[in-house]
Amino acid sequence: MKTPPRLKERLEYLGGVTDAPPDGTSPLSPLALGLYWGLLICAILAFSGQASKFIYIDF
Amino acid sequence: MIFNTLAYFLLFLIPAALLFRLLPPGARPWMCVLFGALFFVYFSLTESGGAMGAACLAIFAWEALCSRLYRPGSMLCLLGVVQSVFFLAVFKYWNFFTGLVFGPRETNPFYWEGAFLPLGISFFTFEFIHYAVDRYRDKTRTGSLGQYMAFILFFPTMVAGPIKRYQDFLPKLEAPSTDWRTDWERGTTRILCGLAKKFVIADTLTAMTVHLNQADLAVAHRAILPVWLLAYGMQIYFDFSAYSDIAIGSTRLFGIKVPENFDWPYLCTNIAEFWRHWHISLSKWLTDYVYIPLGGSRRAPVRVYANLMTTMLVSGIWHGAGTNFVVWGLWHGALLAIHRLWSGWRGPREGPPSLAGQALSWALTFVMVNLGWAFFCMDLPTARFFFRRLFLG
Repeated sequence: MKTPPRLKERLEYLGGVTDAPPDGTSPLSPLALGLYWGLLICAILAFSGQASKFIYIDF
Repeated sequence: MIFNTLAYFLLFLIPAALLFRLLPPGARPWMCVLFGALFFVYFSLTESGGAMGAACLAIFAWEALCSRLYRPGSMLCLLGVVQSVFFLAVFKYWNFFTGLVFGPRETNPFYWEGAFLPLGISFFTFEFIHYAVDRYRDKTRTGSLGQYMAFILFFPTMVAGPIKRYQDFLPKLEAPSTDWRTDWERGTTRILCGLAKKFVIADTLTAMTVHLNQADLAVAHRAILPVWLLAYGMQIYFDFSAYSDIAIGSTRLFGIKVPENFDWPYLCTNIAEFWRHWHISLSKWLTDYVYIPLGGSRRAPVRVYANLMTTMLVSGIWHGAGTNFVVWGLWHGALLAIHRLWSGWRGPREGPPSLAGQALSWALTFVMVNLGWAFFCMDLPTARFFFRRLFLG
């Protein structure tokens, strides 16, 4: 049962939730970070245009 | 919209975050107030009734000025709570409550035709109440007027949270992180992930969740109904966690950390754990300002169950002015009470739970939470129709 917490830590680092990567792994290099951001921006642009309001805005 | 608009990033977030870093500490709170006020007016005016909504900026000023008078233990603090609840009741629940007494719009002489909802009123009301109560309990210091107004008008969290605490926010406002590089790198990553969650997952699921209406439910194949409801459960999670990601990421650009709102809630194995991982800032607020003042868990069992039901009822009503939200709150209150009853009857566990036990607990929690979303996303007659079709065909 070691893998899921490690996976969670990795995903949280990739999501910007935690500042440091899990023990034993190195932080993203500037090149990798740039590519990752580029990938996210491409996904955002590809799916934009179907946007709806955030549900909680009306609360 | 708001967080998924270029206006948010270009007119507000980036200029404000840069200015915040560059201005001297004394000017920062007032800069937050200025940008917060402009943000509130700008985005209020994009809504119907927004002009009146924008005028509600006066509420902020009034509450801020009143709160300056609060002394620990003073009755003025309680007055602060009452006036906050009053504003929320008038703006959000007027037609709902008068409708309960006088019937629907046609027969209700007090129906408010021009009713509007000031941007973020549900959230900033809870921050007003928190401040008043904590001043009453002498749990927080006063700070300057600018600092308090900056707390309320801090725009990344103003509209939909996370719900901040003044005693946590003030030290960060006074001494924000100076590690620009980490803050901007982590903040930008978080914002981009939030936007991706919103656009790629939440908005895509809308194609399925739009069918949760009476006409579509009537003609749909029965097997598709749980899929639509599950899609809504995923949509609301990804939508609100995306919002929280963008809000929290935005605050990082200022060098300020605010509370987290989600911690993998759909992986929880019981309903109490779920509420510790879902909309965390709201759950903590409800625990501190509703559940514990009612007596919390230190009363007789029946009273504890009643406290749980009351707290979740408040949560339901806070989420929306409709009987479906009341039922949604009671649904979760009942689940929490049943879980507590079960835990008490079973007694303390010896050793770690088996994998099968964990899987069963997870599946049960997941199903119950997702069934509950029916009351959240549909009005009561539609939800009733949904369950009748789902279980009876």
